[in-house]
Amino acid sequence: MIGVYREFEGCMRLAGHVLRRLPVLALPPVAESLTRQIYFTGASATAGIVLRGAFIGTFIIAYVIDVLEADAALAVKILIWVVLREIGPLIAAVLVIQRSGTAITTELALMHISGEVASLRQMRIDPRDYLVVPRVVGVALSTAALTFYVQVIAVGGGILLSSLTIEASLGELVGEFFALAKPVDFVYATIKSLLFGAAIALVCCYHGLHPPGMSINAVPKAAINGVTQSTLLVLLLNVIFAYLVFGQAFFGLVTAKL
Amino acid sequence: MNPGNSAAPPDAGSPPPADGIALAYEPAAGVGECAIRIPLGGSHRASPLNESQKRRLVSAVLEVRGEPDTRLVLLGVDVDGLRPAGRAALRDRIAFLPADGGLLSSLNAWENIVLPIGFHSPRRLRDVEAEVSGVLASLGADPRELLGKLPERMSLYEKKLTGYVRITLEKPDLMLVEDPQGGLESAERAAAAKFPAAYLQICPGGTFVQLQVAREP
Repeated sequence: MIGVYREFEGCMRLAGHVLRRLPVLALPPVAESLTRQIYFTGASATAGIVLRGAFIGTFIIAYVIDVLEADAALAVKILIWVVLREIGPLIAAVLVIQRSGTAITTELALMHISGEVASLRQMRIDPRDYLVVPRVVGVALSTAALTFYVQVIAVGGGILLSSLTIEASLGELVGEFFALAKPVDFVYATIKSLLFGAAIALVCCYHGLHPPGMSINAVPKAAINGVTQSTLLVLLLNVIFAYLVFGQAFFGLVTAKL
Repeated sequence: MNPGNSAAPPDAGSPPPADGIALAYEPAAGVGECAIRIPLGGSHRASPLNESQKRRLVSAVLEVRGEPDTRLVLLGVDVDGLRPAGRAALRDRIAFLPADGGLLSSLNAWENIVLPIGFHSPRRLRDVEAEVSGVLASLGADPRELLGKLPERMSLYEKKLTGYVRITLEKPDLMLVEDPQGGLESAERAAAAKFPAAYLQICPGGTFVQLQVAREP
């Protein structure tokens, strides 16, 4: 229990440091590190996310049509509620944890064990400035971008499939989508995905910089801790978001009425 | 090069004046470690008794904080009475080069060299290329061959050289270099022997200290 509290406190401190030290992103080495992170997490993951997005959208719409015997309006509503608001950010977060979360934890743990983090301190560089700030910002922005890809591909795929399986034309479904989707849906999903990305990077950076030992065996342990805890945190954040938005706090901001 | 530790046992009474001292590390009697006292300016060798003392010395210098039983003087300043701002200002004038060069494995030689400048004085980045080439040329190295290499493809000498150029560009007043010739072949040792002279050419008033553990009898 004390260990869990210590890790939570460590992640919160790291988050505070990132927020305070955002201006270091203007320094050339940090800006370069940010660009690399965005390329690795955002750009090079695009192919994988497009495939997953298409599969998910098609799967959801096929399932909904079959189970609910949906018409065009209901099919599009389900797409907006499920894919746009919930599944899009979650799928992007899972992909980011799989690819970037493991990579970040492993890389930082190896740097710690091999003395490279100490080298940064010897150069009077705060390792959190150079290693954590660009990763957190880069992963947050990339997760938001990947979420957008998932939304576009999954909704597009879903609408295309619907037009083939229910008695509604493609134009009718697209028209229904634009009539029902609101800007607040995209804002909600974007805020959520930014937060997911930042949380994943923070947890993974924390475990990378605090591996449970100085031997090479500590690296996979750190990676496991980073991945499992960031997955749990993403799910927890999703529940909190759902409660805040669909529950009491902001009831009516985003509605879910059949 | 000036000889040895220039070590003198610490006085039992009031501490000797710190003026003219670049580095003094004086453990209390009975700690079992030798005292090290290096005068300001020139090239010197400091010989801690063993690896443990070397680690303690390096850690004390880099943190600008002597241990409770040890007097530490850096660049003429007794660090005991210093406030945090004074410690930070003093730390900015000191550089340390570990035996393996202390490079980041994901960056090539050029990126490793300019990393601290990019953090501490980014405006200098535009002019630093000529400076790097100048330092490398003075040590007989070919910049075109070295600068694109990742640490995994470098020899130990190239790693030391890259680390050395990196800290030289910061123009520290006190440069601590851990075992600069350790693990090198004879030709490389000869090249590494030029490090102090090259540093003193760039920082004429600076102090170059080679840290080398005294050989066991």
